[in-house]
Amino acid sequence: MLEIKNLHVEVDGQKILKGLNLKINAGEVHAIMGPNGAGKSTLSYAICGKEGYEITEGSIFFKGKNILELEANERAGEGIFLGFQYPVEIPGVSNMNFLKAAINSIRKYRGEDEMAAVDFLKLIRAKAAELEMDPEMLKRAVNVGFSGGEKKRNEMVQMAMLDPIFSVLDETDSGLDIDALRIVADGINKMRSPEKAILVITHYQRLLDYVVPDFVHVLSNGKIVKSGDKELAHQLEKEGYAVLGIDENAA
Amino acid sequence: MSNKNYFSSEHLASHFEAIKPQLPGGDVKWLETFRENCMERFLETGIPGPRVEEWKYTNLGLLKDKSFEVSENQTDIDQSFIDTLSIPGLKGSKVVFIDGYLSKTYTSIKKEDEIILSSLTDLVKNNPDRAKALFNNHNSASSLFNLNLALMTGGYVLLIDENKKLAEPIQIIHFASQATKSNALRTQNFIEISSGGGAQIIENFVSLNKDFKWRQNNTQITLAKNASLEIYQFQNESSETLHMAETYIDVEDEADFKHFSLNIGARISRTELKPTLIGKHANIELRGAFLARNGSSHDVFTHMKHMVPEGTSDQVYRGVLDKGGKSAFQGRVYVAKDAQLTNAEQSNKNLILDRSAEANSKPELLIYADDVKCAHGATVGELDQEALFYLKSRGLDHKAAKALLVEAFVSEVFDDIKIEPVRQKYLTLARDWLEQGE
Repeated sequence: MLEIKNLHVEVDGQKILKGLNLKINAGEVHAIMGPNGAGKSTLSYAICGKEGYEITEGSIFFKGKNILELEANERAGEGIFLGFQYPVEIPGVSNMNFLKAAINSIRKYRGEDEMAAVDFLKLIRAKAAELEMDPEMLKRAVNVGFSGGEKKRNEMVQMAMLDPIFSVLDETDSGLDIDALRIVADGINKMRSPEKAILVITHYQRLLDYVVPDFVHVLSNGKIVKSGDKELAHQLEKEGYAVLGIDENAA
Repeated sequence: MSNKNYFSSEHLASHFEAIKPQLPGGDVKWLETFRENCMERFLETGIPGPRVEEWKYTNLGLLKDKSFEVSENQTDIDQSFIDTLSIPGLKGSKVVFIDGYLSKTYTSIKKEDEIILSSLTDLVKNNPDRAKALFNNHNSASSLFNLNLALMTGGYVLLIDENKKLAEPIQIIHFASQATKSNALRTQNFIEISSGGGAQIIENFVSLNKDFKWRQNNTQITLAKNASLEIYQFQNESSETLHMAETYIDVEDEADFKHFSLNIGARISRTELKPTLIGKHANIELRGAFLARNGSSHDVFTHMKHMVPEGTSDQVYRGVLDKGGKSAFQGRVYVAKDAQLTNAEQSNKNLILDRSAEANSKPELLIYADDVKCAHGATVGELDQEALFYLKSRGLDHKAAKALLVEAFVSEVFDDIKIEPVRQKYLTLARDWLEQGE
């Protein structure tokens, strides 16, 4: 489904990713772990097409299509979703209108008609309930005045609404208490299916107790230095990155 | 006229002499004298140039050598066109001006409003004493305000009795046609609301001229104790129009004045709002947005005068400046020595969409009392790139993402509007303007 080959990415002239390879098949959940500054967030932005992340070498193919030529919104249209580490506050735009615009933009990209208002309302109420979000929050401006946990929950509601084929979740677990972590994990697990794939980016093993990955990769200094199954995550939790010869403070 | 900070304005004096006999009420002696006095007062200084501090951002040099004509011959317009300028769903009285003259054909005044709402020229004819009294109260007004009084061709007068509250908002439509024989449009309005009275007014300025036109529309307002007035302005003039609207508002005890405006048209627009709080516990709210691109420029000048204690005023203005657009917000707040416990706030935020755009913001606080709360904030910024990426990552293309963010930025000033069709009209006009961009 997603194939990254020899990816080199620069930000402000600084080399962050230095030849990253990653292949994710439909039905799989991958986790990327690594110390701060390893390039985890850069990888998520490069996949989703953020401006300022310059691809100097390598390729990213999604369902056989070279997505490096696509704008961020076109990648969303293709079915890629990014759960942000720091969801952005947008004063003056209600969650409801934001989601309506998002859903209909994606449908337009796919050549589909706009969703009927009634269907949209039904869907959003159902998804908010599933993720235990207070319906009042749908009327509020996107993420404005939301707590850290509420913001992450809001990301999950957006993901559930947009129903992506491939989701990248960038440190979705950071700053969550145990209840919020459980809800976020439930949200991610609901997206698991033989037709979909998920990439979880995390600093800690904690989330992976709830969202059990098929593969775990360790990212260090712009490259994947080790891959394994969920046991690798446990090992890292126990022994730290130092066993892999990674100095966690080097970055 | 020796002041070099002002443009030579003799050509306007000759223009006045030439058209004086054909101005409405030209045969009424006291009105003629009044016009002459106003002209004299205007000529004491003339048209302010950019070296006059208040006119720093708007250069009226384009008026220097222009010749002006006025004509009462109205262009024929379809009723259906007038309907498109009206706000749907509102049933109140409607006053229509075409090229500066009140149009009897399109004006429709409801029976219940007949006593209170009239044409200025009718009032001069039918109730000269009342008219004289209205004209008597403008000595400290600006030179351009006096020019408009000298040359005015009409206006509306709204006089509301004690405790009478209008049930429906009144719509005023100021239309300018393509006719080149009228290129100076000057209307003067008066509003007096007695104690406990209330009204809502919607003013829509639209023009189709392809050649230069100069519009002045000035208003003098008095709100007695506990009176309330809301004014909603839409300025969507043609790109060849110089639009000027200057309003003086005297606000007595516990009276409430709200003013909303949207400036999206005209080559140059200048909106001046000058409220004076002369009674305790008066409350003033000024809200507005101005959107400019392609050589268009908007200048909002407010002068809030707190003369007595315990008044509140709040000003919120948002500017959006696209390629080649320019704006200025000058917000002066004066708090007199006796005006203790005044609470005055002011905020102006500007969004620059293109590096060729220009936004000026000049808060000016003159505070002579020592126990007051006065806050002001002014910002000029660009679109939040993080927010833009966030929206794009959710599927919105660049244009839609930008439009959503700009609309959110602008719509904040119109959030509190209770008349839903009016709020919708503001949002629609702003949205249309955004869609015309790149």
